[in-house]
Amino acid sequence: MRVNFVLSEVATGLRRNLTMTVAMILTTAISLGLMGTGLLIAGMISDMKEIYYDKVQVSIFLADDVTGDQRSAIESQLADSPEVASYLYESKEEAYERFRQQFSQQPELVDNTPRDALPESFRVELVNPERYEVIAAAFPNGENGVDQVRDEGDFLDRLFSLLNGARNATIAVAVVQALAALLLISNTIQLAAFNRRNETNIMRLVGASRWYTQLPFILEAALAGLIGAMLAVGGLVLTKVLFVDKTLAGPIKAGIIPPVDWSAIVTIAPVIAGAGVGLAAVAAYVTLRLYVRL
Amino acid sequence: MRPGADRPSCGPGQVPWPLVIELQHVTKLYPASPRPALDDVSTEIDKGEFVFLIGSSGSGKSTFLRLLLKEDDPTRGTVTVNGKTLNGMSKWQVPKLRRTMGCVFQDFRLLRNRTVAENVAFALEVINKPHRTIKRVVPEVLEMVGLDGKANRLPHELSGGEQQRVAIARAFVNRPLVLLADEPTGNLDPETSEGIMLLLERINRTGTTVIMATHDYHIVDSMRRRVIELNGGQITRDQSRGVYGVGR
Repeated sequence: MRVNFVLSEVATGLRRNLTMTVAMILTTAISLGLMGTGLLIAGMISDMKEIYYDKVQVSIFLADDVTGDQRSAIESQLADSPEVASYLYESKEEAYERFRQQFSQQPELVDNTPRDALPESFRVELVNPERYEVIAAAFPNGENGVDQVRDEGDFLDRLFSLLNGARNATIAVAVVQALAALLLISNTIQLAAFNRRNETNIMRLVGASRWYTQLPFILEAALAGLIGAMLAVGGLVLTKVLFVDKTLAGPIKAGIIPPVDWSAIVTIAPVIAGAGVGLAAVAAYVTLRLYVRL
Repeated sequence: MRPGADRPSCGPGQVPWPLVIELQHVTKLYPASPRPALDDVSTEIDKGEFVFLIGSSGSGKSTFLRLLLKEDDPTRGTVTVNGKTLNGMSKWQVPKLRRTMGCVFQDFRLLRNRTVAENVAFALEVINKPHRTIKRVVPEVLEMVGLDGKANRLPHELSGGEQQRVAIARAFVNRPLVLLADEPTGNLDPETSEGIMLLLERINRTGTTVIMATHDYHIVDSMRRRVIELNGGQITRDQSRGVYGVGR
């Protein structure tokens, strides 16, 4: 295979319909960027699950008028229960401290919250997180100094279903964009084939192999896919530097949201590049087989 | 109808020329037309022959050439080129077949943005000929067609006749066994056409079979080569040393 020949054909092809090439690259980039975002969110969700689910499963909030006896009764009951793996006591002061840290980005909220507004609580980790009902039954709401028992898992489930929804929506948009990108690639390749029909006709008649005739078009699409992928990775890097690392700095520091690591982007980049190049090449090949006589 | 008797006979002691092209009961129907483009056509063409394919527009000349190139498949019958039956030939083998054939058209089909030499070299580049070979044979063939000194011109800087010479050089540069010419003089004046015919004759003398579809009766009459006349998809005349029209 004459590499120079094929490469110069690719360059000519891309230059000749520049506007279509740019459109093809941009849609591919947006689609791949969204795909990458979806993957990052997915990674974030699993990181968050590790942070949250492992820490706390059930909170027992104590009433404001709880007595010392009641408190120690609850504590000994927890210590004796076979259902409880571990537990942690959080005083009003500690609760307020944690709250202040979590919402350090919203000082008005912190300022408007009295120091003793937050209840003291026991944070309980269960041997089996599904057994929340047993704990809830052992500590009836409103009795023996217990204000309420809350299944944090339930709250987390709702939080994560929200995050999963965000991830799915991102991926859905990525898929729609990918469809647009594929159609654009197909169109561009048809246009390129039409522009070069004199060359390809002659190639066909003098007996150039099918690969020789098709390869420049396929490489053209693959190259556009690769450039699109590079732009998409660039977009992810910018998103991390300008949005995640700056705007979300507070919650990340407070441990509410896991940070987006460079390693995550490094892992995702080849996936995006592979998807971009592969899909573009396949789209081009299918287009040539279906619509273009070579 | 194959008039074996009045075709050029082999001299005593000569081995008969092998057949290069053979059509057996070939019928070609196009979906859009109720009338067959070719209707039960059988003929043989020997290596080294010069054949005129004549007939009015729509008589089946182009279909004939397309079947030889395997641009189309016959509806019925078999087409054999260089000993290979084209009917069952896989798509991947077609390029190999076409490397043994050269094609020339009425409209030259040159690449406008490439020079004369590049146009000819293109045919070799795309079939992966080594660079050294290309550098050697392109000037040779340009000299043969009478275009030495114009290697670096662009097609639009040449006359029609010269452009057709470039196309012939491109078709011949890979030394094909068969040269197919579809009305190669259709766009040229009589004098220029004569030059092109001399060139085709010269190529024929190297042993290349030439099959030329044409309307140009001056040329057919003056050359006195084998004439196959098609009419409504059937061969109505096959004559060695023929003329264009009977009684013209």
